[in-house]
Amino acid sequence: MATVLVNDIPVDIGDEKLNCIQAAERAGVTIPHYCWHPALSVVASCRMCLVMVGEKKPDGTVAMQPKVVPGCQTPVKDGTVIQTLDPKSTGAQQSTLESLLLNHPLDCPVCDKAGECLLQDYSFQFGKATSRMVDEKNTPPNKPNIGPNISLFTDRCIMCSRCVRFTREVAGTAELHVVQRGNHSEIDVFPGHPIDNKLASNVVDLCPVGALASNDFLYKQRVWNLKTVKSVCTGCSTGCSINLDTNKSVVYRLRPRFNPRAQGHFMCDEGRLGYHNVNSALRFTKPLERTNSGTQAIDWQQSVAKIDQSVRSAAQTDAGKIWFVLSPFLTTEEAWLLASYARSISPFCRIVSGPVPSHGVDDNYPKDRKGNPSTNPVKFTIRAEKCPNRRGIEAVVAHFQKSPATFADLLAACDRGEVAVAFVTSGYSTAFPAWGTETAERLGKAGFLIVHDMLPSALSDAAAIVIPAAAFSEKDGTYINHAGLAQTTEAGCVPQRGARTDGQIYLDLLGRRGLVRAIEIRKEIGKAVPALAALATGELGEHGVFVTARA
Amino acid sequence: MLFDLIPFSLLVTVFTIAVIFVGVLTAVAYLTLLERKVSAWVQDRVGPNRTGFDFGQPWLKFLRGFFGLGQPLADGVKFLLKEDVVPGYVDRVFYYLAPMIAVGTALLALAVVSVGDTPVPPVLQTLSANSSSADSPRRVFPATKSELAAMNSTTNLSDVRAGYAQYNNLSTIKFAIAPNVDIGFLFVFAIGGLAVYGIVLGGWSSNNKYSLLGSLRSSAQVISYEIPMGLSVLGVLVMVGSLNLERVVDWQARHGWLIAYQPLAFVLFLTAIFAECNRLPFDLPECEQELVGGYHTEYSSMKFALFFLGEYTHMITTSFLTAALFMGGWHLPWLNDWLSPSMTGNFDLSYLFALLIKLAVFVAKMFVVIALFMLVRWTILRFKFDQLMALAWKGLMPLGLMSLLGVVISRQFMPPGMGQWGFQCAFGLVSLVIVGVVSLLLPTEAPKTVLSISRGRSHSATSAPELASRAS
Amino acid sequence: MTAIAEKNVTWVKPPRLNLAEQIYLPSVAQGMITTLKHLVKTVTGLNATSTQQYPEQQPVLPPHYRGVHRLNRDEQGRVKCVSCYMCSTACPAHCIDIVAAPSPWPDREKYPETFVIDELRCIYCGMCEQACPVDAIELTTIFSLTGMSREDMMFDKEKLLSVFDQTVKLGTDPVRTRGGRLSVAAEPADAGLTGSSSAQS
Ligand code: SF4
Ligand code: SF4
Ligand code: SF4
Ligand code: SF4
Ligand code: FES
Repeated sequence: MATVLVNDIPVDIGDEKLNCIQAAERAGVTIPHYCWHPALSVVASCRMCLVMVGEKKPDGTVAMQPKVVPGCQTPVKDGTVIQTLDPKSTGAQQSTLESLLLNHPLDCPVCDKAGECLLQDYSFQFGKATSRMVDEKNTPPNKPNIGPNISLFTDRCIMCSRCVRFTREVAGTAELHVVQRGNHSEIDVFPGHPIDNKLASNVVDLCPVGALASNDFLYKQRVWNLKTVKSVCTGCSTGCSINLDTNKSVVYRLRPRFNPRAQGHFMCDEGRLGYHNVNSALRFTKPLERTNSGTQAIDWQQSVAKIDQSVRSAAQTDAGKIWFVLSPFLTTEEAWLLASYARSISPFCRIVSGPVPSHGVDDNYPKDRKGNPSTNPVKFTIRAEKCPNRRGIEAVVAHFQKSPATFADLLAACDRGEVAVAFVTSGYSTAFPAWGTETAERLGKAGFLIVHDMLPSALSDAAAIVIPAAAFSEKDGTYINHAGLAQTTEAGCVPQRGARTDGQIYLDLLGRRGLVRAIEIRKEIGKAVPALAALATGELGEHGVFVTARA
Repeated sequence: MLFDLIPFSLLVTVFTIAVIFVGVLTAVAYLTLLERKVSAWVQDRVGPNRTGFDFGQPWLKFLRGFFGLGQPLADGVKFLLKEDVVPGYVDRVFYYLAPMIAVGTALLALAVVSVGDTPVPPVLQTLSANSSSADSPRRVFPATKSELAAMNSTTNLSDVRAGYAQYNNLSTIKFAIAPNVDIGFLFVFAIGGLAVYGIVLGGWSSNNKYSLLGSLRSSAQVISYEIPMGLSVLGVLVMVGSLNLERVVDWQARHGWLIAYQPLAFVLFLTAIFAECNRLPFDLPECEQELVGGYHTEYSSMKFALFFLGEYTHMITTSFLTAALFMGGWHLPWLNDWLSPSMTGNFDLSYLFALLIKLAVFVAKMFVVIALFMLVRWTILRFKFDQLMALAWKGLMPLGLMSLLGVVISRQFMPPGMGQWGFQCAFGLVSLVIVGVVSLLLPTEAPKTVLSISRGRSHSATSAPELASRAS
Repeated sequence: MTAIAEKNVTWVKPPRLNLAEQIYLPSVAQGMITTLKHLVKTVTGLNATSTQQYPEQQPVLPPHYRGVHRLNRDEQGRVKCVSCYMCSTACPAHCIDIVAAPSPWPDREKYPETFVIDELRCIYCGMCEQACPVDAIELTTIFSLTGMSREDMMFDKEKLLSVFDQTVKLGTDPVRTRGGRLSVAAEPADAGLTGSSSAQS
């Protein structure tokens, strides 16, 4: 039991090891800070967090230290007293900000960080309105290509060295360095060694100012125009929690969202830049029907009716020849709805999990300086399994399909000509496809192939009916990652030009009325499937819940 | 029996209808211009002053301007050519019917409106000259049973026929479609009362809350204001003893205008017709600020124009009534004899001249009333609905009753002429004061009004947890 | 919806009327006299109307009149705008659409690839002019704006720059906002090349 007094507010910190910044945050008090980051080592170099610290003696007297100390580097213990409002602290904050702004170009109007810049926020809250600087400012040239995805606006840097520490401590490859000294310090890379590790873009998020910018997002939008929803990255089965930033239903960027249960503070560049399919102009927008006379667009009602009709008529002869493939890119709710539909047709319809795209091996960070695997404790893993919801799909399939069948069985049945209707959901990322043209050809032998996908592919070319799929940014739902962590995503966009969410189509197929509400279906699943009982609450919270006891 | 006597001349009637309608429609068109001009003048503006008859042709440039006299024409063309929007959710039948009813009833009321003196059938003239009553040298119709009997007994039927034939020939100018209707202004009120159906149907069928509110207000308003209106004209009826408009004018020509006898009734009547015509300060059914446009919100192009037309026709009708009932109709003091040459012989020029003068006098009086309409529009603010109702039921109604009481008493006990005049005026004034005082003394629970609402606004900088979450 | 607290509401009672007011007629007469006075004065020409005989008579507009926008040029004739979106952020009508791009010039980082103002949607409030940190957008005294279609009224960058050329040539609208010197882009081009601006922090 340790109690800390922050601005005379007592906070109980239990027996955790905290520094002044963290303790103050518990009391709802902000101690401004730049260089300190919970995932990085402490250097206490920016001096933004200077506060008055003292100790309350058992006899009730308070002994303050004579000068301000960096809060990030000062651990708190029982009886620690933190003062952020006394003249010494506020004076230190103002002076620090003034000196940080000495050489700062203040080109907020053209700076991508403006709006979420800590230099702006702290200047507004803790700084002072004027500068006494009379000399020319340092204006070192920009370095637009210190990495394939990263630009450095050198003059905006406040030398907090978060980026340098990240490349050393988390990525391990240590591309970034501080060069020169004092007033002329700059961040730089060695010639021929750009910052190109797979976690590189995290330095953009880490940079408290607009010095490091993402080339992908550069000048695309002002951040205050973006609408942010909580989502989950679908790039691999780590299932990083992300913030999805959209404007007018266009996805502009993904940012990692802190989640101690999933991935921590960061995300990889593959996932971060992997959203571009979503905005692709090639995406299907209307259901397509392929007949002898060619391919034509049909409307939604028609497509649903046609699918239903073909499935039902096939069920009359032999329901065992009807196959449903649940892609691991579906949300658990969608998989549940489609499988329920299959079951509502006949208990003999076959439901299988779609193939799981697996590429290479799990990629652990930090690496060593040369980029090779190292033996240091793992801080971040990019998984080989390039899909977000294998476990969710498997749980649903296992619930509905007592006699297990696999995707390979389906292919074999196709070869034998024993497939009357195949309903194949897809949504695989183009970077990591789950099948090639050969598989597509084999599936094409099915009597009636229904493909539910976002982008044209060899498989959709072979389909009798193609229904457009919604992207992950357009639907609500639940993904269950490699460790069994179920996380919910929110739709940040409406589906493109009249498209519908997958869940809505399945709901229509089921003949259930109304709009699809992921939370209701989640509760339904939680009640029906013991393996997914954790979903029964509906709301899974910001960090998600484990559907199984953690391994 | 009389129907046998009157050879109905279809041709003449059709001709009269055509002339009057064209006249009224033109008048309406130019009234809109006048309205805009008056509005402009009152507001220190110029008003429409460019649209002449040049139709945009440079070679007709000399026809440009003319105080905007081409404006009504341009407006008409615009109304005809504008897109006719019919919202999808309206009740089609009534939606289309409503403007027709509005304009139809307004025009129908015009049937008995005679904008000038209507000559008396010669036969009856002789008859009444011969018969006992000296009271009416220009008696138009047999007024009592005995008169009728006298007429029947003394008149040779063929003579009467011949007289009517002459009366109905084209050379006699009649300024009304249906002259000598005995129910007179009752007809106008009855038809005018129907006009509200146009508004109610329009508002209801539009399926729009603003329209519906407008028409509801309209019906409530018309019902309320017909009562003081009826009470005020009852006084006229009591004095004159006839509903026939010609006879009302006739009476005034001989005894003096009724406005002098019953100024109070005149004010009541005037107020009531403002409400009947939906004019400011009583234009609640169509107030733009609260109801977008009221009952005609959903109407566009010609259908809207029809409502407009109906309203202005209504203005003409009511101003005619005011002129006829209270302001002596075509009568001008001191010119009476000169203006009423007897039509014993054949049609002659002096007769025509007199007729034209009378027409001009009548139109001038109507114009005064219409000008009043327009000036009041820029003088008195719109009433709130509760005020409107309070005025009708707590102000005009008792005043109307008092006024009627005064007329009855004077008619019974006072000598005709100055005596009646003095009593009625004094009584009117006294009742005005009494009603005023009483309404002041009435315990009114003055409605409280909100003057201002202040809301606590707090300006706070970015909250600490938000900053913290961004920093980490 | 939260209820409004009673303490925040100020109630008033209408004043009591006296007899003349209650009878209405005197006040009506008074009002009619005022109305008639105006009417007569205007008709007889005693009151000068404030009507201007447009278009023969062109209005004299104050220099801060808020008409059609223009995009200003810098000394080298390039668009001054640095594509900061401040104007479109400030715009209450949401009628400014900008697509930013890295600038082709060395002295600034960002420039507008396209810049479109929907002049039909604009309410001519002048917020954009106030918001601009580099005085790149200004409202001119051009007030009569016509077009044959909605597309005509979407003013793109070229058109907005041509409004600048036109108004500057006519001399009707001198560059009127010289307020802030906030960034490199606000400086004359040569100073901008060295990049620094005086301290404003
Ligand atoms: S880093 Fe922040 S303070 Fe600096 S220019 Fe960018 S937004 Fe402005
Ligand atoms: S570039 Fe950004 S993160 Fe790196 S030292 Fe500079 S301010 Fe810090
Ligand atoms: S004048 Fe106002 S409405 Fe028009 S573009 Fe500027 S900010 Fe927007
Ligand atoms: S505020 Fe000025 S500089 Fe910024 S985008 Fe608008 S016009 Fe361009
Ligand atoms: S955060 Fe403490 S010194 Fe930078």
